[in-house]
Amino acid sequence: MFSLEGITTNVQDWLLMKFNPTMALAIECVIVILLSISLFALLGLVLVLMERKVAAHIQIRLGPNRVGPGGMFQTVADTLKLIMKEGLVPDKADKFLFNLAPFVVMMVGMLLLAPIAFAKNFQIWDISIGVLYISSVSSLSVIGILMAGWASNNKYSLIGAMRSGAQIVSYELSAGFAVLTIVVLTGSLQISEIVNAQQNGWWIFKGHIPAVIAFVLYIIAVTAETNRAPFDLAEAESELTAGFHTEYSGMRFALFFLAEYINIFIVCAIGATLFFGGWMPLHIGNWEAFNHLMDYIPSSVWFMGKTFFLIFLIMWFRWTFPRLRVDQLLNLEWKYLLPISLFNLLLVAVIAILGWHF
Amino acid sequence: MFLKEYITDVVTGVISLLKGMRKTGYYFTHPKEIITEQYPDNRATLLMSDRFKGEVVMPHDANNEHTCTGCTACELACPNGTIKVVTKFETSPEGKKKKAIDALVYRLELCTMCNLCIVACPSDAIKMAPNFEHSVFDRTKLTKVLNQPGSKIRKGIE
Amino acid sequence: MNTSTIIFYAIAALILGAAILAVTTLKIFRSAIWLLFSLVGIAALYFWMQVEFIAAIQIVVYVGGIVVLIIFSIFLTQQSGKEMDKPAKGKMIFSALAALFGTAFTINLISHYGFNNISAAPFNPSVDEIGMQMLSTTSHGFILPFEVVSMLLLAAMVGCIVIAMKPTEATIVHLNKKED
Ligand code: SF4
Ligand code: SF4
Repeated sequence: MFSLEGITTNVQDWLLMKFNPTMALAIECVIVILLSISLFALLGLVLVLMERKVAAHIQIRLGPNRVGPGGMFQTVADTLKLIMKEGLVPDKADKFLFNLAPFVVMMVGMLLLAPIAFAKNFQIWDISIGVLYISSVSSLSVIGILMAGWASNNKYSLIGAMRSGAQIVSYELSAGFAVLTIVVLTGSLQISEIVNAQQNGWWIFKGHIPAVIAFVLYIIAVTAETNRAPFDLAEAESELTAGFHTEYSGMRFALFFLAEYINIFIVCAIGATLFFGGWMPLHIGNWEAFNHLMDYIPSSVWFMGKTFFLIFLIMWFRWTFPRLRVDQLLNLEWKYLLPISLFNLLLVAVIAILGWHF
Repeated sequence: MFLKEYITDVVTGVISLLKGMRKTGYYFTHPKEIITEQYPDNRATLLMSDRFKGEVVMPHDANNEHTCTGCTACELACPNGTIKVVTKFETSPEGKKKKAIDALVYRLELCTMCNLCIVACPSDAIKMAPNFEHSVFDRTKLTKVLNQPGSKIRKGIE
Repeated sequence: MNTSTIIFYAIAALILGAAILAVTTLKIFRSAIWLLFSLVGIAALYFWMQVEFIAAIQIVVYVGGIVVLIIFSIFLTQQSGKEMDKPAKGKMIFSALAALFGTAFTINLISHYGFNNISAAPFNPSVDEIGMQMLSTTSHGFILPFEVVSMLLLAAMVGCIVIAMKPTEATIVHLNKKED
């Protein structure tokens, strides 16, 4: 399998040889933009198909099976349909904000892509505050949802947006605490350092029980943050038609839909980086032979494998658990997740100070 | 004691969630369990359940005979006026006049498949068929005559 | 003029433009959104200065916290979708004057201060240094303000809980007794 390691340096060297630094930087920017847009499109197609197939198999169904072999091109067909479709704007809607909202949501997804390490030495921006950047930028996406809900001039949208706002704002806390436990163990916010710290074992193994608890908390909190079942009150089809994107159609709807899946990918990628070592192969302590064997699998494969495993986990949740009520949702966060994560953080701090982790 | 309750709450909650995930995980990893009917492809082998109610039909035997006496009980029982029984009088060889059906007109587009006519029929002349492919291009095709042309009432049915 | 300066002016234009729109628009929700853009622009300015930590905090606190709070309170008011009446002429003139005076005052202060080029090394503290400084007890440490602010927030939180708490049977009985 082809690996992404080292490609970046080759490209940069080649560009620097041919052009002056400013031009090289500009060309690199263009390359990055093109790459991330195509990654988005590809991820959208793959993840939507994956979701439908996983859902079908969990519900003892077949899922899409008409377009292409095994229904492989179903999502391509769907996308074509959405592109052709007329994008309606409700009459009394706030046109400007209505059109802006899907782009805000999408843009946040793009910004979040920056610090993710897809493979060894394959990262757009290894910013020094890595995970803090991620948690701060992801708090922007709620704005897009609130904007969409309000601008649609529709009561379902407004209720959906309110629910989603309350949900994201509260679950951000426990997601943040779960991330902090790993930051405490690593002693750095930078993604590359967090990955390197897992050279001799992933944090979920090295960090004992608290790391496992933090991982569970993280998965629950990000499921809520991405507005997915069992926390999908914001779009609860059966009560709010589609929540904040009830009024959207055509391409704008496609953007919301895509953003949802991009967000899932991003939170899973971050979860994989924090708890499963990102692109780091499975290393067990100082067992050299085994570690070398694992190194033969390219780092990009490791990263994608872990990320898709987490995505599968989240999809598994979605098709297993029933939806929570609003009060249950807030109870879960404030009475269970938050106290547990605070206590867990304290535990991890003790472990880190006493050096009990491996 | 509050703390103990809290912890048991969390533990039982997690355990019950895991149970659910085990069930769905089992289904996910066992594609043999899939129950999807791939409908247009498997039309030949498609099995409908016995109780499926698709349309009202009148069974005829090999001699083109049915058991409908023309009593109009079905017409009276139908809440939608779906069935119209057109009767005629036949003279039997002995010269007795006897009531029989000329046509049992059934309008599929009005039927709600409520089964009341079948229950009402005293001689079990009509029943529900599991056929569901009803779409046609012309509405008039939905008005059907249930007794076949030239059919007679079976001997011995009064 | 190099790229960096161009970016600076672009960000500055975004901040000022969004801020002006925030105070002139007649729809209250739009005003909140413009405020949001202005604050995001300030965060962008911090990124431009390469003080990422401050930029991230700016986004978390102002955008993720305060603006969301403002938007929520707008949602909860009635008629959030209505256009507001145009402010009266006198009010407009007065506020324009106030703004002008403020600007003039600031410009005056800045011109008196006179920035001379600082040749010292660029200021780029790492996150752990910030953390250490926050909790240090030495002469330039921030432990006292940090703890005071923590106490304040704790008090605010306890206050919120007390306000939001449903009165129990016992307190209701107690309150009723007092009224008698
Ligand atoms: S099934 Fe019901 S609606 Fe249809 S013909 Fe019989 S009685 Fe009428
Ligand atoms: S179908 Fe049955 S109920 Fe209807 S007319 Fe014939 S015998 Fe009577």
